[in-house]
Amino acid sequence: MSTVTLRGVEAGASEAAVTARQLQDDESRAWLRDLRADGAVRDDALARLHELLVRAARFEVARRRVTLPHLRGDELDDIALEAADDALMSVLRRLDDFRGLSRFSTWAYKFALLEAAVKLRKRAWQGREIPLEPEAWNLFASARLAPDTEAELAELLGAVERGIAEALTPHQRRVLVALAVDGVPIDVLADRLGSTRGALYKTLHDARRKLRAQLAERGIALEEWLEES
Amino acid sequence: MERRDTTRILRGLLGPAAPEVGCDTCFEELDRFVELELAGEDAEAAIPGLRAHLEGCPACREEHVSLLALAAGEQR
Repeated sequence: MSTVTLRGVEAGASEAAVTARQLQDDESRAWLRDLRADGAVRDDALARLHELLVRAARFEVARRRVTLPHLRGDELDDIALEAADDALMSVLRRLDDFRGLSRFSTWAYKFALLEAAVKLRKRAWQGREIPLEPEAWNLFASARLAPDTEAELAELLGAVERGIAEALTPHQRRVLVALAVDGVPIDVLADRLGSTRGALYKTLHDARRKLRAQLAERGIALEEWLEES
Repeated sequence: MERRDTTRILRGLLGPAAPEVGCDTCFEELDRFVELELAGEDAEAAIPGLRAHLEGCPACREEHVSLLALAAGEQR
């Protein structure tokens, strides 16, 4: 009896999922059809898409406006509109890449959020110097460890500094310290170094692997220090 | 230096222990990942390595938080 009930529940849930999926697919198909049409249908779809992207870009700007207290409301809105315009170009260029694995609107939103976030991070770092000389850093120089700091922690910090100095290439060191210690946003650093976000993250990833391997070789236990306190 | 500052710097320096995707794959899959999360499905099983990437990449993490909030608002 219970098996029959369970099957009934599963069938109901599955039908609901299929219906939701169908609606989602219908909505996405309509977007693709209209954006690939001609004349007034396409113009209307473009206007609706732009509206959707402006909404997403303004959402991102509103979320981040505390990081840019010196910008006026109209300057922030200009950034949102510029982000939406750039996102519209990206979405249209990549329309054939949409695989229908999410709603079309969610897929499109991410382009506007990315454009707005990149513009706002760059604006926040505009004019700020980024220390890029590998010799210029001293990782824990400003760290005044509490008198009761465990010897274990001092040993760990020393090993991390040595690992960074010895195991990494100058480029890996520069990228790791800028991103992980100085808090430079990855797209700001990519811009300054004439690189890309993907390439810099690969460098960061390789540097982290090397550093972890070096610390493991020295028998340093990390996990305890990586847990949120 | 407070213990939490040390932890924050060490996490940034060492990154996630688990295998992770890169920023480009993260961007490609983020919309699908977010919708699976909102549907209560196992997003990490469907797209292995994306959760670890979000742990290791502050920029992608911020964009994930925004997309999740925006898409959740749409569904309400």
